[in-house]
Order: sequence, then C-alpha cells, then structure tokens
Amino acid sequence: MLRTTSSPRLGPFEHRLLEEVWARGNVTVRELLADGTISQAYTTVMTTMDRLYKKGLLDRAAEGRAFRYKARVTQAELQRNAAMDGIARLLESSSASSRPLSYLVEAVSAHDAELLNELQILIERKRRELKDKVESRRVQGGEQA
Amino acid sequence: MFVLREIAISLTFFVLLYCCLSLAVVFGWRRLKMLRLSQKSLADILFLARILPMLGSVSFTCAFVIPSFQLLEPRGIDEDTGILPVALGVTAIVLIALGCYRVFQAQISTARIVAEWLADAQPHQSGSYTVCSRPDVPPLTLVGLRNPRVLISDLTVGLLTEDEMGTALRHERAHISSCDNLKKLILQFCPFPSMAQLESAWAEATELAADDAAVSDANDAVDLAAALVKLSRLVPIRSAPICTMGFVTGSLGLRVARLLAWNGTWRQSPSFPAWATVCMLLSAVTVLVFTYGPALVITHEITELLIR
Repeated sequence: MLRTTSSPRLGPFEHRLLEEVWARGNVTVRELLADGTISQAYTTVMTTMDRLYKKGLLDRAAEGRAFRYKARVTQAELQRNAAMDGIARLLESSSASSRPLSYLVEAVSAHDAELLNELQILIERKRRELKDKVESRRVQGGEQA
Repeated sequence: MFVLREIAISLTFFVLLYCCLSLAVVFGWRRLKMLRLSQKSLADILFLARILPMLGSVSFTCAFVIPSFQLLEPRGIDEDTGILPVALGVTAIVLIALGCYRVFQAQISTARIVAEWLADAQPHQSGSYTVCSRPDVPPLTLVGLRNPRVLISDLTVGLLTEDEMGTALRHERAHISSCDNLKKLILQFCPFPSMAQLESAWAEATELAADDAAVSDANDAVDLAAALVKLSRLVPIRSAPICTMGFVTGSLGLRVARLLAWNGTWRQSPSFPAWATVCMLLSAVTVLVFTYGPALVITHEITELLIR
C-alpha cells in the first residue's frame, strides 16, 4: 500500500512504462526494449524509469551494471490514490462543503445515465438480431414448404 | 465451580476457534471464486465459507469440548480457572450478544420499513406480487422470511412489459427458493471484520444465480436485461433494509452483458456434485467414529493447558 496520500502526477510515457512493469512483474530497461513494443531510445527509457523510482512508484535492485525495477504500488492503489486526491481537491475547492459534493453526485449520475443509455442500445440491437433470426427462419421454412 | 469452569473453557475454545477459522476464511475465500462452478453452486459455497467459522466453532465446542470436560475432568478437584479463559469467555459472550443484537436490529428495522411500504399496498390480481404506491418503495424487491413476497412499485408496473415482468418475477422466485433473505439474516449472526468483500461476492453470485434461473432462452435473457436497465433508472429514495433482496443490485454492467451473451450454456456449468457432498459427509462421520475417543483426550489436554 502506498504510504503517502498524495498521488504523483504522471506523464503519458511514465504511465505507459508503469503499465509495462505491472504486466511483467520485474524488468530491466534492456528487457523493456527487447520485444520492440517500446520504440524510445534506451537513455529516454532509463531516465523515465529513474524518475518513476524517484517518485516512489518503482523499487530497484542493482543487477550487473543495470537496475532491475519492480512496482512499489499496484494499479488499484495508484488509481485509488489519484481518486482520493481528486476528491480531496474537489472538496477543498469551495467554502460551502455541500456544493462540491453535489457536483460529484451530478457527475456520477451523468455517468450512470450514459451507461444505462449504452446498455439500452445494446439491448435494442440484440432484440433486433433475435427478431431477424426468427424472421429468416420463417422465410426459410416457407421456401421449403 | 465445576460448571463455571466448564462454561469458561467451552466459551474460550469457541472464541479461539471462531477467530482462527474467520481469519482462515478472510485470507482464503478468494480461491473459491476460481472454482469453475455454476453461479448457484458458487453462491452456496461462498455462503458456507462465510458461516463456516460460526458453524465449525459451535459444532466443535458441542461435539468435543463439552463432552471431553464432562468425561475427563475430575469433579472433586477445585482448580482455578485462570485469567485467560475468563477473559476469552467474556469475549465469546460479547461476540454472541453482538450477533444476536445485529439479527434483532436487522429484523426490527426491516419489519418497520416493510410495514410502512405495505401501508397502502394492493395485492395484484394474479396474486404473484403486491403493488405499492409509496414513492420510497424500491422498484422491485423481495421481502419476508417465512412468507416471502415480491413488492413492486406502481411505477414499475407501468414501465415493464408483460414478458419483462415475467422474467423479473422468476428472478425473485429464484431468491425465494434459495431462502436468500434468511441467509442474509444468518450472516448478521456471524460478525467478524473484513468479511464485507466475501459477503458482497456472495450477494453478486446469488444475483447471477437468480438471473440464470429466470432465463430459459435468449428472449428471456433480453427481457430480463431490459427490465434491469429500465428499473435502474428509478433511483430509490433510501437504501433498502438488510433482509430484502432488491432486483437492481450487484454490477449492472456485468449482469446485462452476461444476459446479452446468453447462449444456453449457463446450465452446462458444473454444479457441485451431490455424490461428492455425500462422500465427504460419510468420510467425516467415519473418521469421527474411529477417532472420537483419542480426539476427546487431546481436546482435554488442550483445555488443561488453557487453564494453567
């Protein structure tokens, strides 16, 4: 578990590298570059990994002349900390404590409504598919008769 | 003095075993989710895991601790019980009292809220559900332990088609046949920290099992998914009481996605085989019969250690 409550800000490439480390468990810079999924230069990757280490997100152990890195936090922990930071900032943004909370509820409701609309579309599509299937079976049956 | 010592020792054993089994369940229950079983079997196994600490510790205390003390403890000797058994005995009494309080509280609060909902309710002419017109009634919910019934808000009646209502009612009937409200009440009697995730996994498995039971073809699956999405738009004014089973609970996205992917294969997911249960029970009884005497002696030796 990450001890600090504040979550460090991450750039897109830092995030990408962190995801690679989560996926592989532990890794050296050379191993990250070996399969070609990361096209940046060795020094760029090395500097970014070093920055992630200094931000407290990676641990490292010397392995020959290089370092082997592994994550200090899980993906869920990082997401949780980011969410907690966001919510804390939101709550501090207004002197009236109920106002930011109402924005949060509004945003969640809008998100929920969007999800429900998407699910509704999927259901209607499935209904049409089933109806078409029945129709085509009926036509085939009629032709055979 | 003998009886007091017996009670203290029994309660001590009970609470120690309850805590050990609970910790084992807290750390080990996630492995159960990896079993490739039907949702019904998974729900049953998760429920069994949740009540195992209470069931196991009560059974062990009644089957081993009390008989071993009765048979092997000399009555004439006046021994001191010791601080530890007394302290643990008090802890056990607090634990049992807390369980009783939670059950009582859940029952009372559920009965009060349901009585409010039923104040101006009308049974539907089909007799399969009761229509409530109060605005705080959840869209569709199952209430009651001995005579469970389905309550439906009047908004729901207008919102669902006949087919959608049919599948939604079959979903609730599946909860009735699994006695899920009663199981929720039983869970209240087994308090232990960090069990919330297991309880929520059980709740999710019961919903999926009820979905499985309500659906017999692709059209049913789509009707149930449509009913779920429609009723999700009706936001309940207050949270539902403990001993009720709401229709719109669990992960909506997962349930709808599952229903839309229905291809008749749910029923092929293996259930926990009955013969395996019978074999396990028979083996347990056989082992118990042949090892009961030595087990009593060992139990009594442990009680002696506890007293000293």
